[in-house]
Amino acid sequence: MTRKFRAAALVALGASAALAMTACSGGSDNGGNGGSTNDTTKPVTMTLWTNATTGPGAKFFEDTAAAFTQAHPNVTIKIQTVQNEDLDGKLQTALQAGQGTAPDIFLQRGGGKMAAMVDAGQLMDISDSVSADTKASVGAGAFAAEQVEGKTYAMPVDVLPGGFWYSDTLFKKAGITTPPTTIDELNQAVTKLKAANITPIALGAKDAWPAAHWYYWFALRECSQDTLNSTAKTLKFDDECWTKAGNDLKTFADTKPFNNGFLNTSAQQGAGSSAGQVANHKAATELMGAWDPGQIAALTPDQKPLPDLKFTPFIQVPGGKGDPKAIMGGVDGYSCSAWAPKPACTDFLNYLTTKDVQVAYYKAFQAPPVNKDAQAAVTDPIIKATIDAFNQAPYVSQWLDTLYGQNVGNALNTAVVNLLAGKGSVDDIVKSVNNAADKG
Amino acid sequence: MSDSQTENSLAQESSLENPSPAGGGAIVATPPAGGRPRRRGVSWRERLEITVLSGPAIIVFIGFVILPVILAAYYGFFRWKGYGRPTDFVGLHNYVVILQDPEFRAALEHNLYILVLSLIIQGPIAILLALLLNRKMRGRSIIRVLIFVPWVVSEVIAGTGFSLMLSTQGAINDLLRNVGLGHFTADWLSDPNIALWALMGILTWKYIGFAVILFMAGMQNIPEELSEAAAIDGAGYWQIQRRITLPLLGPTIRIWAFLSIIGALQLFDLVYIIWGQYVAGTAGVSTMVTYMVQYGRNAGNYGYGSAVAVVVFFISLIVALGYQRFVLRRDTEGALTDGGKK
Repeated sequence: MTRKFRAAALVALGASAALAMTACSGGSDNGGNGGSTNDTTKPVTMTLWTNATTGPGAKFFEDTAAAFTQAHPNVTIKIQTVQNEDLDGKLQTALQAGQGTAPDIFLQRGGGKMAAMVDAGQLMDISDSVSADTKASVGAGAFAAEQVEGKTYAMPVDVLPGGFWYSDTLFKKAGITTPPTTIDELNQAVTKLKAANITPIALGAKDAWPAAHWYYWFALRECSQDTLNSTAKTLKFDDECWTKAGNDLKTFADTKPFNNGFLNTSAQQGAGSSAGQVANHKAATELMGAWDPGQIAALTPDQKPLPDLKFTPFIQVPGGKGDPKAIMGGVDGYSCSAWAPKPACTDFLNYLTTKDVQVAYYKAFQAPPVNKDAQAAVTDPIIKATIDAFNQAPYVSQWLDTLYGQNVGNALNTAVVNLLAGKGSVDDIVKSVNNAADKG
Repeated sequence: MSDSQTENSLAQESSLENPSPAGGGAIVATPPAGGRPRRRGVSWRERLEITVLSGPAIIVFIGFVILPVILAAYYGFFRWKGYGRPTDFVGLHNYVVILQDPEFRAALEHNLYILVLSLIIQGPIAILLALLLNRKMRGRSIIRVLIFVPWVVSEVIAGTGFSLMLSTQGAINDLLRNVGLGHFTADWLSDPNIALWALMGILTWKYIGFAVILFMAGMQNIPEELSEAAAIDGAGYWQIQRRITLPLLGPTIRIWAFLSIIGALQLFDLVYIIWGQYVAGTAGVSTMVTYMVQYGRNAGNYGYGSAVAVVVFFISLIVALGYQRFVLRRDTEGALTDGGKK
């Protein structure tokens, strides 16, 4: 009797579970049209995921999608904005679910994450779909960031090179007339700023990557381009330049150039963050990517751009194997998922790099556009300065944590913070990067 | 514990089998048209009722508790980035790496510090506060509320508040400087020698209210007559507390200690809010769970992170079972109804 009761309950439970599951999988049949179709009259709906949730950035995507639909009446693009910090996780889940759930077009951060998506067969190879116009107007350097083994998996839309963002007023107050270009000049600048009672450099080490950027930049100067690239495959810091970069940073950090309590300073949150300290003239400079003017502008007392903010490239390090003018930066791109309708999706990506759209992009995001004609339309002096530095560089490396993937990047960032906090040594950086390979 | 549970469920089933005339009888008395024999015990309607009522809860429990545990154990055997299906089977490799990783050992060590320190700091303070608040005095209820409020405040709010106040340019250091105690300013959160103690201070502030409430409830259950009798026999206040209140409060203290131990082992939110994603290890306050998030989710090593989750699960399980077996046993003995063992 008892057994029968249990059996009946189990069957009923199973049935309701099955019901619940079918209920979940139902209703997700819109979205991708199941791969390629060359029919240009058949209606196509695509979803686009971006991290521009508010303000001009969000409006840019709405306008661009509307303009694209006007030119291609059969294509509708639905914009879905996802908060930046949530985007990667949601994207991963959606791509995992595949057709129907995965967005057709989405923000691509490149590097190791993109390689993992390629491995899992979740991205469309767009190498053959990049139009001739796009190829002519977008430099090969930007495309290199979006390639895995020679194939292109995303369309670059902006470049975000890094360097020093400094307050001209504070530099002048401390008696620094020209921004430092060598390590000696940087050390002198730090001494002068300290003498003038100004915190020389703000550092948001709580987020780890801003601290790690210092190491990346020293590595960019100490390591040759070949070493940087070959390490992306081996993921082992065998070359001695990695140790030299660590020693450079250690020597520099020992002069105590950073703000007090940098270990508990975040990069962008509030007036106490590193960007906030520069915005409020509490610190003279910080080493950051080209998104920094926008972040600083949001943290000034009147929430307007800091009038005396200026840009200067990272210093040169004598004796390094890297080119003294080489630059590091991020490239934001947009990818098509493997299930996106082919001509419509790639057409839209090509459209994103056309001059007018790129000028609108620059205005919306205050970021250097990737299209060379659009770059000529940039009037903002600091963005112009970053574009110049970018175009003069013989080669551009991606941020090392992007280049070497999340796993090694995470270990590297943590190890650099440990070094700056006096908890770890230079050898520990090399060691923890090599150990990270065991974890994933 | 488990014995009595099985027996309980058996007892329930047997009562279902023989419905009492008052309860189920009415339902069985009107058999459906199909003419089922009366002896079939549970009617279809009753089965349906049980299924409909318990089904959703069971589905949610299986789907969001049991299934993830099984999946974590499964993923823990793979080197897996979370993209595509896990294919790279590595056996026990992840577990070997975890147990050899100095970062994990440091995290485990911090957990154990927090566990022990919570017990020896919060326990005595909470007992004294409960004794104090159990006496009739002016402003008692307002003090009760003040002590209990931190426990009600969400971890995120408490964490954000303390991280602002304790930061190097924060309110605490400013206050110290302004009252002439500038000598005592410190990098409360960044200095590895201090950070753990700052965390203990916050934890004590946050969770002491819960302990006090538990102890006060326990004290209410101690009959007044016992202390009266002791007082007549000439015992002083402290003697009464020492010989009567404390021993009779034993079961409450042991349950509180159990909850505190579990909380210490699983500590995550406060640390993650105050120290962020990366620097908990550097500041010397990382816990097993922050380690799991840092080297699992944030590093994109979902296989490895799952393995850490399994390790944390087993460590907690061993501690919990050990505590039940050796400490809680005496409280549950005889307190649970078990019909069979008489």
